Amino acid sequence: MTFLAVMLVLQLQQKVFAQERTITGIVLSQDNAPVDGASVVIKGKSTGTQTGPDGRFTLKASKGQVLEISSVGYENQQFTIRDANAIEITLSKVSKSMDDIVVVGYGTQKRGNVTGAVSTVDVKKTLQGRPIADVGRGLQGAASGLSVTIPSGEVGSDPILKIRGVMSSFQGSSTPLILLDNVEIPSIQIVNPNDIASITVLKDAASASIYGAKASNGVILITTKKGSGTAKPQVTYSDNFSWQNVWKKLEMGTVDALKYTVDAAERVGVTTPTGAFYYVDRAGYEKAVQWQKQYGGTIGKNDPTVFGRDWYVQGSQNSKMGMRTYDPYDYMIKEWAPTQQHDITVGQTIGKTSYNIGLGYLDQSGMMKPAKKDDFTRYNASLRLSSEVNKFLTVRAGAMYSRRDKDYAYVTSSTTADPWLYLYRWGPLYPFGNDQNGDPIRSPVSEAAQANTANLLQNYMNVSTGATLNFSKNWKLDFDYTYSNQEEIWNRPGTRYTARDSWSAPKARFDDNGNPIYVDSTGNVVSSTAPGAMQAFDLSLNTYTGPGANPDHIIRSATNFHSSTINAFTTYNLGIGEDHNFKFILGMNSYAAATGWQSQQQNQLTDIHNPQFNFAIGTPPIISANNTWESQLGYFGRINYAFKNKYLLEGNLRYDGSSKFPSNLWWRWYPSVSAGWVISEEKFMEFARPVVEFMKVRASWGTIGDQTVPNSLYLPVMPYGLSSWIGGNGSKTVFVSTPPAIKHDITWQDIETKDFGVDLGLFQNKVTVTFDLFQRNTNNMIVPSEGIPLTFGTGAPQGNFGSLRTDGWELTLELNHRFQNGLGLNFRGNISDAKTRIMEYGTSTGVNSNYNGKTIGEIWGYRTDRLYQTSDFDLGNDGKPQLITLTAADVPAKYVGKKAYKLKPGKNGEKPVYQTFLQNSSNFFFGPGDVKFKDLNGDGVIDNGSALLADHGDLEVIGNTTPRYEYGFRLGADYKGFDISAFFQGVGSRQLWGDGFLAIPGYNSSDGAMPQAIAGNYWTPDHTNAFYPAAYNNAGSNAANNLQVQDRYLLNMAYLRLKNLTIGYSISQNVLKKVHVNSLRVYAALENFITWDHLKGLPIDPEYINGYSMWNASNYNLGRTGMGVPAFKSISVGVQLNF
Amino acid sequence: MLFFSCKKDFLNRPPLTTYIDADGQFWRGEDDIRMFANGFYPNYFNGYGLGWTWDYAPVVGYTFNDDVTGKNVQSNFESNVPSSRGSISESAAWLQQYSGPTWDFAWVRKANILIDRVENVAKPKISDEAYRHWTAVGRFFRAFEYSRLVSVFGDVPYFGRVVKENELDTLYKDRDPRGYVMDKVYDDFQYVLANIRANDGTQNLNKNIAAAFISRLMLFEGTYEHYHGLDDARAKKYLELAVQAAEVVMNSGKYSFGSDFKSLFTSENLAGNPEVILYRIYDAALQVTHAVGSYSNGIETVGVDPNLVLMKSFIMNDGNVWQNSSEPGANDFSIANLDKTRDPRFEASFIDKPNGSSTTLLYGYKFASRDAITYIGKTPPPIWASNTNTSDAPVIRLAEVVLNWLEAKAVLSESLGGAAVSQSDLDKSINAIRKRPLDAAALAKGVQKTAPLMLTSLPDDPARDADVSPLMWEIRRERRMEFVFEGFRLLDLKRWNKLNYMDFSTNPDYFLGPWINLQAEFPSALTTSAATKGNVKVKKADGTVVTYNGNNASDMVGFWVVENASNRNQFNDKNYLSPVGAQQINEYKDKGYTLTQTKGW
Repeated sequence: MTFLAVMLVLQLQQKVFAQERTITGIVLSQDNAPVDGASVVIKGKSTGTQTGPDGRFTLKASKGQVLEISSVGYENQQFTIRDANAIEITLSKVSKSMDDIVVVGYGTQKRGNVTGAVSTVDVKKTLQGRPIADVGRGLQGAASGLSVTIPSGEVGSDPILKIRGVMSSFQGSSTPLILLDNVEIPSIQIVNPNDIASITVLKDAASASIYGAKASNGVILITTKKGSGTAKPQVTYSDNFSWQNVWKKLEMGTVDALKYTVDAAERVGVTTPTGAFYYVDRAGYEKAVQWQKQYGGTIGKNDPTVFGRDWYVQGSQNSKMGMRTYDPYDYMIKEWAPTQQHDITVGQTIGKTSYNIGLGYLDQSGMMKPAKKDDFTRYNASLRLSSEVNKFLTVRAGAMYSRRDKDYAYVTSSTTADPWLYLYRWGPLYPFGNDQNGDPIRSPVSEAAQANTANLLQNYMNVSTGATLNFSKNWKLDFDYTYSNQEEIWNRPGTRYTARDSWSAPKARFDDNGNPIYVDSTGNVVSSTAPGAMQAFDLSLNTYTGPGANPDHIIRSATNFHSSTINAFTTYNLGIGEDHNFKFILGMNSYAAATGWQSQQQNQLTDIHNPQFNFAIGTPPIISANNTWESQLGYFGRINYAFKNKYLLEGNLRYDGSSKFPSNLWWRWYPSVSAGWVISEEKFMEFARPVVEFMKVRASWGTIGDQTVPNSLYLPVMPYGLSSWIGGNGSKTVFVSTPPAIKHDITWQDIETKDFGVDLGLFQNKVTVTFDLFQRNTNNMIVPSEGIPLTFGTGAPQGNFGSLRTDGWELTLELNHRFQNGLGLNFRGNISDAKTRIMEYGTSTGVNSNYNGKTIGEIWGYRTDRLYQTSDFDLGNDGKPQLITLTAADVPAKYVGKKAYKLKPGKNGEKPVYQTFLQNSSNFFFGPGDVKFKDLNGDGVIDNGSALLADHGDLEVIGNTTPRYEYGFRLGADYKGFDISAFFQGVGSRQLWGDGFLAIPGYNSSDGAMPQAIAGNYWTPDHTNAFYPAAYNNAGSNAANNLQVQDRYLLNMAYLRLKNLTIGYSISQNVLKKVHVNSLRVYAALENFITWDHLKGLPIDPEYINGYSMWNASNYNLGRTGMGVPAFKSISVGVQLNF
Repeated sequence: MLFFSCKKDFLNRPPLTTYIDADGQFWRGEDDIRMFANGFYPNYFNGYGLGWTWDYAPVVGYTFNDDVTGKNVQSNFESNVPSSRGSISESAAWLQQYSGPTWDFAWVRKANILIDRVENVAKPKISDEAYRHWTAVGRFFRAFEYSRLVSVFGDVPYFGRVVKENELDTLYKDRDPRGYVMDKVYDDFQYVLANIRANDGTQNLNKNIAAAFISRLMLFEGTYEHYHGLDDARAKKYLELAVQAAEVVMNSGKYSFGSDFKSLFTSENLAGNPEVILYRIYDAALQVTHAVGSYSNGIETVGVDPNLVLMKSFIMNDGNVWQNSSEPGANDFSIANLDKTRDPRFEASFIDKPNGSSTTLLYGYKFASRDAITYIGKTPPPIWASNTNTSDAPVIRLAEVVLNWLEAKAVLSESLGGAAVSQSDLDKSINAIRKRPLDAAALAKGVQKTAPLMLTSLPDDPARDADVSPLMWEIRRERRMEFVFEGFRLLDLKRWNKLNYMDFSTNPDYFLGPWINLQAEFPSALTTSAATKGNVKVKKADGTVVTYNGNNASDMVGFWVVENASNRNQFNDKNYLSPVGAQQINEYKDKGYTLTQTKGW
């Protein structure tokens, strides 16, 4: 109950009065906002008063008397009158009480009276003093039902926010509405964490519906600090310095990876050197092993690559053969990259006008070591003004500005193959660093170093004005208008790359007389006849970017987004007697937005060091542009009814219109209701009172419309473009695309939620529990007309044919205790789970189709038995497995004639189970070291049947990509100015079938990159208990041959993270008083520091999502797992100061 | 309501930047139709592809045939039914093993939309001539697509109109017989020839272009029907149309063999080339470039390169096969000699010295200019490097038309009751081609034109396939020499029912390159590491193989042995046609319909 330190700030005066005198005071909350309506009484007397809206009070008292100050939502406070006449009292918020005020749609409510599904975030503990770039990252694990995923360490990227389940429809955005002071913002990055007063998450239709058309996937409601209650300006300053590093060492295979590559090649009869640019064969591998022994400890990343010692050439094509291995990590990752954050806020109330100014600065470094610049900076400025013109009219205005600037090395315009893809593509022979001439060798690192700096600049600003008309004490009208504008300028100045070209053929080295130079195996020049002399080669120094080839260009795109939002509503409170309280709201909101986008590209830079349009000669410039607009309009009404604060009822009705649909389907009605019953107020519950302080059950039902879909679904649009067919006039021809198949009658998706919840306060509310059970149905979901085959020739038309259901639960538990000696302990934990199923889609029953009843994210695959050993096979006279043609005696008719290695019968003479169906490559046959699957349906053969629900062969659901059992918990303690807290966050269950080099053994073993976890643990005759199967080159497939989707190699993405560990110390008041400082805290924090995962050493972050990044949300780096900016951890120190 | 004067159009926000196929907003006249039709061009008139994409593009697009050999095991035929095969995308990749599209009906739909909208929307707004022309354009592309689908899958479901999503019985119908589909294609082509404009502006589809393609597609189907013993009546009908279409082009008087062979494939500008009926323009400034030249530049490796079987199939310039020629050097398979004694197309198609970037040392440079290969060992300029090549691509040219014509006539005469092929027919086709001018560089090297093919003295090739007539053998040889690397070979083998040529166990020459004296001509192959590994080998005339061991450099004279090369896995007749995906079959089954799997799969 007394977790928060109570702060008393006294302004002592010397004058002493012996008797009753007039005391003036102000009551403030912890964040220095005035507390309106607080009761101030003299202990033991009936005399008392209340504070006004400015938090001020006046009363008569004499020295020695004790004032008792109380206010809903705050801890009671006592204050003994001494000599001062003017006093300031700061109330601490009740840590968690049912009287706590919760910000809900268009107003506030006592927590105890809330009937919808609402989570609140403890802003102070969650966001303050953490080295996080944005609020979104801070919210991970902080609120039940709010899922936050951070799929990469890309600085300046938005985390993925979802409320209650991964998706609510196929076409809609499924992302929550983020409102900052009731205005939608385009990114949570815009918000300065230090400006925030409260964060509420509205999760069900009943609580969110008031926000209408965009709120169907829940609302994150952020309010900012308003004014400071004091006449004296209050200044708060905080800073944070942090250093980031990769969350764990990303260990790639070196010589072991070469062995894998050679083994895989030899398996299919390839003995010639294999690889990409740098080749390896058996002899070369052995040389690499030798190199490792000889030089592994002495030659490091900064040593140049020397011909003769580190590589040689072989064969008629002068193939480059490597011996030295390299670890890209050493060259690409900047360890302990610094970040700093500074925030300052000033607030004051002058007369009836109050203001609050906030300024913030963030400068975060990325981790790409060779980049000229890799960082993200953000500036925030905000101003809020409010003035009570007279007792009828209060006016307010605000403005906020956020400037985000991401600088990064512009290596390529491609988002499907950026340096992070190439870093983990070529094998360990691929050189980094410089060659022996001191020139950089072509690599993702040399390109990142030569690349010019691109920047993505986003200037967001909004201005808002509003007024409240108080017609009477119970009746008011609020009107707010906000204009938002975001300008995004994306400058991508390219370059041309020059390096020792490791992609092309090497060139013989000659002396000045044109005679070939010979070197020995240390790279030293020797005579051609010396033993072991070999002719020396160099990589050729080329400018290998052709004129106009990517990225020999400059691109500038500019996007201008603007929106106007109007919220107007009137509120009427009606009390009938003591017991009946009504609140009526009637209002409207409108939203209109437009986006204009234009991109201009000009190729062929004449100055690659100062790329400017003026210095680019490619003609004509390539210009593309687009314009979009949308609008929504909604009317709503709400009635709240409370009987004795015991029976609570709320009803909402909306009428919504959206521009996304044909005009006859614009408008739709959406009702919702919720009710609560505070059981603990009932007489019959009194027996439980010492334990059960508070108990409420609540339930809600409602529907809300979702229109977050493109506005072209109902129209057969035919986009216009420039063809690559050049016409007779020498310019590109224009073409108009094929119209899609559409249905005209596309309309709103209806999101219906049901929620049942219990709120409990136990042991004087020291223990609070909130539990919710919910169901969300997406009705009239827009899905493709089902069951249309490929012969249709285009995507099936979309229509409101589907439905989806999400079921889930959420639990929050909070414990607070303060011991007599001042030690405070607290715990807050939450866990939530949601599972989404397709209810209606069509009639397909294919296991990989969207069949009715399918759980979203499910993964169908085979069950792995084990790896075959040599003893499983019937060996021939040569001691090797024999390839036989299967007959009807071996397999069902459809596999007769297929080839397979002959298996021995089982122990009891059982017929062996052949897996020819899974031999996807014509030179792959299951043999020793390959994967043996389980014959789940016992039909004597491994296959997928017809891949239909009724006949799925040996397939079954082996996992799900949806994060399940998402949890977070914080353990905190404070004692005499010291505080410590540890915040853990995790996901209980998630699986992923990987793609690409980092997850799939043999993904493309001739390219060569693979994690050491694979390279060091695959089956060979000498390593028969390996985890991964025998080497084979799957040539770029992630689901073929040995690597069929199966449970053994399914990535277990569950994890637990020590998200934050903070130790702080608040300097004693006695010391601070002397320097006129109110409070000062210093702290040190570790962020993301320890991760417990189940990835068996693969260099993959457990939060990774295949193909997702801020540059490309579906096919980033070809969807290959882990191929992006690595996630990071950080260590930080900071200061929080208030004066 | 109370506070907001709701303007009626507040919610009226239709898309701003796209045409809409409704309510008369498009198909307002010929310009609209043309814009839609332009969408077909890059797919059908692919030329050298775009950037690194080489579907239907020479050299790298067509590495699966019997002309070329790679190291190690030769790439295999498909052996298993794929789990899924197909697409609904207009940018779907092709199937390299079948040189055609995947199970994808997007282009059929697109063509049907064009035909439908011209008929039902645009017709009143355009002239009858324009109506017939644009209908012909739509029908041409529809027939083209069905020809390709049939060449890959055999039987395919035929849709002669835009099918609606609720017509499930139609969409889920099983495959229509090949002959039924091709009869529809035939009807479309007949309409095209009767109605398409003779001239519709530069670089636009016209009667000659359409006719040239019709000769190709009808020859394919006619010969396929005949040699696979499917339906000789149809074979006859299709081949007759192939002849008729070819004659449209040949009799137009617009095209001739006035260009040397090399210029056809390496010119920066093909405008005005008399042999080229349609070409694709590449232009660096417009970012329309290709990579085919780079894979001919003597530096890039393709991975599979011309083998000795191909070399031996080139005719001597005296018009004889090498076995029968009295020319000196007939028996000499060194590159230098081949250059001088074989048909000039040899010199124009292959680099004249051993090149280590080729697995066989014979490097194909048909698509790189003589200048391009001067950069070997240096850095080539962008027009011959990377994916920034800008040489124009011949999309279809007269040589193909005359060879289609001749072959169709020959098949008709041999088996389907057609008139005999005359010497004049040969003169209009093969001999006209052989009379192409030689470029100066070739002349300077002493390259000579090949003597004409005479009916009276057809070469008697000991290597001739026993069931192919001598004349037909020469027609096929001419195609092989003319079209090497161009992508016809695999389809030719398929239609001739000769996929067994892909079985390299039948002839050891498949694993050999040219005759070479390594020490003199290619000493860089004789390195210490090559000796240690024992991977450099030559094969003597008597069949003995000599492996380089570090001390026998002077003995390294013989046919180059492609390193570690071995035959591909066994394959059989099912490999003529592609299977459909297991998922597609299951999907039909799931809905209560049947999709029949391709025969043999």
